Amino acid sequence: MKEIILHGRGGQGAVLAAQALASAAVFEDKYAMAFPHFGAERRGAPVAAFARIAEGRILTKAHIYKPDYVIVLDPWLAGLVDVAKGMEGHEGTSGGVPMGSVKTDICQGLNKKGAAVLNTARPPDEVRLSLEVCVGTVDATTIALETLGHPATNSCMLGAFAKTTEEVSIGSIEKGIMDVFGERLGEGIAERNVKAAKLGFERTEVGMCSGGREFPAQKKWLPDVDELPPGCAIRSQDTEYGKLGPGSTVQNETGSWRTFHPIVDDEKCTYCMLCWFHCPDGCIGRVPDKESVSVDYFYCKGCGICSEVCPVDAITMVREVEG
Amino acid sequence: MRRVVGSNYATSHAVMRARVEVIAAYPITPQTQMVEHIAKFINDGIMDCEYINVESEHSAISAVIASQAAGVRSFTSTASQGLALMHELLFSAGGLRLPIVMGVVNRSVGSTGGIWVEYNDSMPQRDCGWLQMYVETNQEVHDMILQAYKIAEDKRVLLPIMICSDGFILSHTVEPVELAEQEEVDGFLPKYEARHSYLDPKDPIASGIVTPREYRQEFAYQIHRAMLEAKDVIGEVNRDFADKFGRDHSGLIETEFVEDAEVILLTLGTVTSTARGVVRELRKKGKKAGLVKVRAFRPYPAERIAEVCKDARAVGVYDRSVSFGVGGPHYLEVRNALFDSDVPVIDFIGGLGGRDVAEADVRSMYDVLLEAAKTGKAKRNIEWVNTRGVVLG
Repeated sequence: MKEIILHGRGGQGAVLAAQALASAAVFEDKYAMAFPHFGAERRGAPVAAFARIAEGRILTKAHIYKPDYVIVLDPWLAGLVDVAKGMEGHEGTSGGVPMGSVKTDICQGLNKKGAAVLNTARPPDEVRLSLEVCVGTVDATTIALETLGHPATNSCMLGAFAKTTEEVSIGSIEKGIMDVFGERLGEGIAERNVKAAKLGFERTEVGMCSGGREFPAQKKWLPDVDELPPGCAIRSQDTEYGKLGPGSTVQNETGSWRTFHPIVDDEKCTYCMLCWFHCPDGCIGRVPDKESVSVDYFYCKGCGICSEVCPVDAITMVREVEG
Repeated sequence: MRRVVGSNYATSHAVMRARVEVIAAYPITPQTQMVEHIAKFINDGIMDCEYINVESEHSAISAVIASQAAGVRSFTSTASQGLALMHELLFSAGGLRLPIVMGVVNRSVGSTGGIWVEYNDSMPQRDCGWLQMYVETNQEVHDMILQAYKIAEDKRVLLPIMICSDGFILSHTVEPVELAEQEEVDGFLPKYEARHSYLDPKDPIASGIVTPREYRQEFAYQIHRAMLEAKDVIGEVNRDFADKFGRDHSGLIETEFVEDAEVILLTLGTVTSTARGVVRELRKKGKKAGLVKVRAFRPYPAERIAEVCKDARAVGVYDRSVSFGVGGPHYLEVRNALFDSDVPVIDFIGGLGGRDVAEADVRSMYDVLLEAAKTGKAKRNIEWVNTRGVVLG
């Protein structure tokens, strides 16, 4: 049996990709299952999905802890983008490290003989993870933007998975996408995703990455029964695990969710404040000295509404690049 | 002050004496008078309390959850469909560990049913994290409302509690009740001070939030542990009450003639009174019959039941509710308590929908038990009492 974890963000289609992968395996007369990390997820927030492929019936219904393969749909999730840069001293950070940092050690529990399939513009030998392991890399965000018009990298990454691991053929991946995506999103969209998968398959580079990278250990508040406040009545407090209780969401670094970020041209800005009024996350600030506006990049999710509403085109949405 | 009153009045009076500060309740037969009496006390200026008029029982329980979370002693009451409508919020009250007291005037739920007593309203709520106690007399209802606050607010417990009384048989039957004076109650029940969950804008708390799987199980364990600790607290509060008021309700269970009993019947609620008469009559005839009045259904006093029944040769359980296809809910508790005993345990389902349970019915239960004690076997484990077309024994 092969076990696969897909790391992605709400909206990138990790769950759908896991289902399409299972479908692809079944087209090859194998047994497969796929399931989400049953959470109350939101568009943009880190999510995980799981898939298993085997020759015969799979009995376990538990999560996957020791994957053979990991698929990472978003470069930030593997720590390939340093979102903490320039964020030191922000109120949502602790000691300069964003508490909600998405830097996840995606190699945790990974089979050393397995592989990591990554969405990154770098070739394998320029990737550094905690483990020296086989990686397949592809700039899936660019392919997704080209073929689909938005950064849903799931189908492209399935093509990359087929190329990297050879567990399923690209032909079966195409059938799996037509089956699962076609059912959910219609045949036209499924066909565009098949194209993304094919491009992903073609452009993926396979090689060994370097290892030894350390990821800051994230302490999680896991009190035992005697430490938990009765009735879950939690006071606002700072702990070694970060903030708890009311106000603790300040540490949720929603800025790490974006693909594009707004850049304000102070020369063009007329200080009309329409962007300030429309921003759903309150990320636009006033800069009276310059008669312009600022953006709180720690929380800005890159939705682009500010750019859309700006009457003088003073706000441009710029693609995030790997640092 | 001794007056001849129904249990709805006795409850209302005790609620006033407990210095309850917020009430939200919606009228439903046979509980309606309780709402009316309390409204009158407030209108007459003898009770200082906020009465929140609500449009449903769902809103009533929501309102008292909020007021109790704001650190204020609160009360609500209902019956039947009203309790069913509260169901989803009952879990919130238990989960938030709010010591709300609710007067449940038992009445059957749904079709086919009427307005009369059955425990199929309260017993299905057994897993919501509420304590449940069943009472036998109007005096006991009154006394248990006062004890309920002390039990629920104990820091070892911090759980809501239902005081369950038989609809009409108590609510609409008047009998003498010693109504407590304010000074007496003040000496027994101190002012409520919220320690764990107190909504204060100056010191905000997060409460009732989504609890991910990393936390939920430990919270559930805490409630389970609190429910077990409540067994001791119920006994302690009963003794304290008995010292101050001179009325001893015996805590978790009360027994009659169990010491040398060959057959023991376990009852809940008002049927106990009728059974007391029958068991005394049997004793006069030389039959070794005993009686246990089970007062607490949550937590269930399994250890006490096992201890009391250890030398009996047949044990009977009275049930005023059915878990269809299995038996009575009370019977299941007793089977669990006596899991390692070889003694025949027989369920007697009867009195559903308020059908009268008369002396003859209780006598027929003891007849079945005496026969089982003789043979060492139960003919049937689930017996239906006074049910047309169904033969007993």
